[in-house]
Amino acid sequence: MIKNYFKIAFRNLFKHIGFTALNISGLAIGMTAGFLVLLYVSFELSYDKMHEKSDSIYRIVADIKTPSETIEASIAAWPVAPALEQEFPEILKSTRVMNLNLTVVKNNKKVIEEDVVAVDSSFFEIFDFELVKGDKTQILKQPNSLVLSETIANKYFGQDNPIGQNLELEGFDDLGVVTGVMKEIPENSQIQADIVMSMITFTASPSDRDEQWGSYDPSHYVLTSESVNPKDLESKFPAFIEKRTGDQMRQSQMFVTLFLEPFSDVYLKSSRGGNITGNINNVYIFSIIGIFILLIASINYINLATARSVERAREVGIRKVVGAQKNQLAFQFISESVVVCLLAFLLAVGLTALSLPYFNALAGKTVSSGIFTEPVNILYLFLIALSIGVVAGIYPAIVLSSFRPVSVLKGSFSKGSKGVLLRKSLVVVQFTISIALIIGTIIIYNQMQYMRNQDLGFNKEHTLVIPTQIGNSQDALKTSISAIPGVKGIALASSVPGSGNPAAYSEIENQNGDLQVANLDLYFVNEDYIPQLGMEVVAGRAFSRDFASDSTQAMIINEKAVSLLGYTNAKDAIGARYQQWGSNGQIIGVVKDFNFRSLQQDIAPITMRLDPNSTNIMTVKIASNNITQTIGAIEKTWLSMMPADPFEYYFLDELFDEQYEAEEDFGNLFLSFALLAIFISCLGLLGLAAHSTIQRKKEIGIRKVIGASVGSIVNLLSKDFIKLVGIAFVISAPLAWYAMHNWLEDFAYKIDIEWWMFIMAGVIAITIALATVSFQAIKSATTNPVKSLRTE
Amino acid sequence: MIQITDLEKFYKTEEVQTIALNKLSFGVKEGEFVAIMGPSGCGKSTLLNILGLLDDPDGGSFMFNGEEVAGYNERKRSELRKHNIGFVFQSFNLIDELTVFENVELPLIYTGVKPAERKKKVEEVLEKMQIMHRRNHFPQQLSGGQQQRVAVARAVVNNPKLILADEPTGNLDSVNGNEVMDLLIDLNEAGTTIIMVTHSEHDAKYSHRIIRMLDGQKVTENILA
Repeated sequence: MIKNYFKIAFRNLFKHIGFTALNISGLAIGMTAGFLVLLYVSFELSYDKMHEKSDSIYRIVADIKTPSETIEASIAAWPVAPALEQEFPEILKSTRVMNLNLTVVKNNKKVIEEDVVAVDSSFFEIFDFELVKGDKTQILKQPNSLVLSETIANKYFGQDNPIGQNLELEGFDDLGVVTGVMKEIPENSQIQADIVMSMITFTASPSDRDEQWGSYDPSHYVLTSESVNPKDLESKFPAFIEKRTGDQMRQSQMFVTLFLEPFSDVYLKSSRGGNITGNINNVYIFSIIGIFILLIASINYINLATARSVERAREVGIRKVVGAQKNQLAFQFISESVVVCLLAFLLAVGLTALSLPYFNALAGKTVSSGIFTEPVNILYLFLIALSIGVVAGIYPAIVLSSFRPVSVLKGSFSKGSKGVLLRKSLVVVQFTISIALIIGTIIIYNQMQYMRNQDLGFNKEHTLVIPTQIGNSQDALKTSISAIPGVKGIALASSVPGSGNPAAYSEIENQNGDLQVANLDLYFVNEDYIPQLGMEVVAGRAFSRDFASDSTQAMIINEKAVSLLGYTNAKDAIGARYQQWGSNGQIIGVVKDFNFRSLQQDIAPITMRLDPNSTNIMTVKIASNNITQTIGAIEKTWLSMMPADPFEYYFLDELFDEQYEAEEDFGNLFLSFALLAIFISCLGLLGLAAHSTIQRKKEIGIRKVIGASVGSIVNLLSKDFIKLVGIAFVISAPLAWYAMHNWLEDFAYKIDIEWWMFIMAGVIAITIALATVSFQAIKSATTNPVKSLRTE
Repeated sequence: MIQITDLEKFYKTEEVQTIALNKLSFGVKEGEFVAIMGPSGCGKSTLLNILGLLDDPDGGSFMFNGEEVAGYNERKRSELRKHNIGFVFQSFNLIDELTVFENVELPLIYTGVKPAERKKKVEEVLEKMQIMHRRNHFPQQLSGGQQQRVAVARAVVNNPKLILADEPTGNLDSVNGNEVMDLLIDLNEAGTTIIMVTHSEHDAKYSHRIIRMLDGQKVTENILA
């Protein structure tokens, strides 16, 4: 019996090859989108799950309460992890992870390695990063021990066994010793490194970092015994902190509370940031979009299947007459829809395999290296396809199997009025989703444009950022580069907007004359930096070489810092005393607020000081013409003066915009899915329009005989569909407004949602729908009426 | 075999109620060949649908093999129908997507006959209807007469006790029409009861008895044999 069902299913599919192609391709594209979303979501959810004990690993994070604010840090003071491990037996192991750069000197060439972490010796016992060579309990016990990834090992040592070999590291007295080789750390790990160095290199003498309770840098991770309730453990932390550093906290007025964050939640759920962060909201958004697209594709199937039910009615009648039961027929139609979905599944697997590289590029990461590497995903998709087949098949099956043979066989069967309302509603659902996605895309793109073009309070154009060594070489380099035609100016700093910057424990005299404690962002700069970046000085003055005291006793703050200190007027802050990192002096100037972080964040108070010993970045302003030549000349100068050092540079505007990479990837993905949704919806519309014109062939014929013009017939046939798109627009506009309003809440600087964005989306949707429908309508309106009337 | 008494059927549209069958009564014995005649709209087809258990009467009694079937639900009617009744239609009503063999096989599938036996039975009946050479063809590849022979083959493949024929020659020329009538007579002579609705006096003469209807009522009854 089933064989018979499948046989007739296939023959039916072949007989109506046009509809079949429409159906299967719509479903296949929908499934492909669904599959890609599934891969994306499961990749996002897979972060940091590769560690066997990931459920017992926690990140230690700190809330630091100062008199002015509470900082939610992702890091903690140096001694925290080792002290916790020592104090609490339920903490089995701990490690700190600090990101750093290493400059490796090999054959008189310097190579900067940027993906380096320094970790404590139990790192490889807590995290299951696979070691190819070396004993995980031993390799990080000595200072200067290095564990290299296979690629890095190969880069420096080729085919030789790297174990026991040395690497010369600039800035280190001793040679680095390779003690282990690890497999590349997978992309779905928030801890990323090519080189892992032993933490004891940094904590051993002369430094006493293990005692510095006021100094924050590394992230801290602990492995607890499985039975530990994190809340119970957390509740013991305040007493622990009090015992270890209570007096110091009161003295500095910075009070620390420690928390345990489940390690596997950090990537998606922590608001504190860290190495690499994802966004659980994006996971939700894409899951919903994936489900929507599958829904749109399934609706196509339901609509086309029920619309075509008239053609199947006679078959149903005959089958009933010769003895078929209703449920047997229902089963037959469901199996037909399953056949269609399984064909679409096969196509979708192929499409997914083909589109995966593009999707990875779009997503900005290798979501999957190949769908066949994780067969379980294919199984999931198969089950999804099967259930779509069953679910989408149910309604048409019920409709078809309920036909009464008496009416269908005698020809008194009314043509397709059944389910018209349902089909129309489903089309409205499809276009509601599609239009909402279009509106979303328009708003996301406008927000991106806005962020790129917003006045940031500084000039980021035509500025090269070049990392340099501090010292004499820097001065010589500066002099030589200044002489290059096309170079307009050079400044030095520790940070530029968009790069990271340190935050410093600071005490500054406030409105009431007290020294107010705050943890403030800090830029070290030279005298040329503020004018070069075009920052506006709103009170006092910028740093100047005319004042010798500027280099040791002067600070410039921004307007946010002014209001943090309680001054209503920037002028009042001039002359206020400060203490910061061992330096004492006075505020000499206030600059207008500038966005030194992404526009998602509000501008924070910032302090700037002169310090030639901390400015390891050179910013070079260049002329807007002959950029390539200018850069070439700078590189030549660099190489002639420091042949061993690699020449690296960034454009300040690009560096700053890199902060929006995640948003940009998000926007691109969103756009792609919106396009898919509208495309699949139009496939369905095309099918329905084709069907409806077939049904109205006689009507069209009669109208033409009576004298209707082609235009009036196209209008007649298109009107109904356009009305549906109109209704969809009315429904989707408020929904999209609400969703996008929420999305924009994440940005400190955001566009207003404006009416034209909705109109634009509506016009796009109606234009596309009209183009789809009128294609069919024109075709039938131009048919010779004699032909259509004769066939009746 | 069949006894209907005061059978009634109404059709309702918005406000008008049409009486299709008006207290109709007659009986059909096993092995009989009955022709039903009358002008369009007299209720012939409605009657045939009720006799074929495709439709339910609104009043009266319908005894089938000594069993009251008026008021049976769809499921029970279908069960009774597939074992006892075969249909032949004016427009053949073959399924276009199935071959000749598969069309004839269909009733056997629904009555749960095993594949090997199905094959044997279908081949037997195709042989008998002289259409075996066309077994792998699709309906649209056949002439009208051939299609109707396939339809008859499908109607009889389950060895039904009753065959209901709704203008079986209506779409055929006289040569093909006579061939189909001959088939029906052969079946009747082999013991199958036949009730046939027809407009054709010529076809009606093949029957044992002609019932003439008008406005849902029996007008006359002529016994021919």
